[in-house]
Amino acid sequence: MANTKDVIKGEKVTLKIEPGMNILQVNKQLAQKNIELLRKNNVKAIDIMGSIGAGKTSLIEKLVQKLKKKYRIAVFKGDLTTTIDAERIGRHGVQVVTINTGRECHLDANVVARAIERINLKEIDLLIIENVGNLICPAEFPLGTDKRFVVVSVTEGPYMIIKHPFTFMNADVMVINKKDLAETMKIDTRKLEKQAIQIKPDLKVAITNALTGEGVEELIKAMEL
Amino acid sequence: MTTQIIEAVLEEAKRHGAEKVTEVQMSIGKMTFLGNEQVRFSYKILTEDTIMKDSKLIIEEKDGVIHCTNCGYKGEVQLKDDPAYHIPVPTLQCPKCGKTAKIVEGKECTIKSIRMIKKEEEK
Repeated sequence: MANTKDVIKGEKVTLKIEPGMNILQVNKQLAQKNIELLRKNNVKAIDIMGSIGAGKTSLIEKLVQKLKKKYRIAVFKGDLTTTIDAERIGRHGVQVVTINTGRECHLDANVVARAIERINLKEIDLLIIENVGNLICPAEFPLGTDKRFVVVSVTEGPYMIIKHPFTFMNADVMVINKKDLAETMKIDTRKLEKQAIQIKPDLKVAITNALTGEGVEELIKAMEL
Repeated sequence: MTTQIIEAVLEEAKRHGAEKVTEVQMSIGKMTFLGNEQVRFSYKILTEDTIMKDSKLIIEEKDGVIHCTNCGYKGEVQLKDDPAYHIPVPTLQCPKCGKTAKIVEGKECTIKSIRMIKKEEEK
């Protein structure tokens, strides 16, 4: 800080401040608020990450079908501009809130907090949040959920996991989807599994075919739902 | 992300009555997906019409540190160098006991300091 004694009015001085402000911390604090609010209302929440076309929405459809007797479910659907997926999920008779991010490549705790305001937490027990299709940005923005799972599909090639290690470090469960296409794509799912375990030894794995529902029970078990 | 950084800096600058920001020092963890070069690139474009125009951006990269709650190990994030992939992949696996450790450093994106010019009022 400049010595004010030597400064005459209007003179320019240089000032150095040290805010020590963590940009990601703001989101983390909001995420903490979200989870506290959800827990207070006895609502479990899960966040689903994965690339575009990995099968996130199809998996949610199957999860909703299998879980809607056990839980009253609401789904938040992160989407850039459309409501197509929301309609797909809505057909299964659960409440869907579309969060159109417009340009943003991920959801953050703030938009989730706004969406929570639009539902009655007393009327649900399980909140499923589908993140924007992207394997990178969502990793840095916790939303305030109990657990996160990340979906990779065999059509994305053999290197999805090692290319995005931080996303897998931030997940509790990994789903390898489109199991039925593994052979055609010449993908060994055991290798994918091994790569993921190398990055995070306690990561749980479920191998699914979201179209038929195969493996979805394992996913439910892994997510402790 | 860069937009958020700039918004935060501008807010601080406004609070201190600055008329120009000359330097911003950041600390970015290597355990995030934030790319140094991309932050620089978008910083330059996004500050163009602000009092941060032409300010110097200093980015200090922070290594990842993990802490194992199982055995107490604390140290640098280990890399698995699988020759099949040509790139070393970071792992959360504790090098001592093999369990999953937690990241304690390397996930930050912190504004460490801001240098600004202001007109000093007579006290």
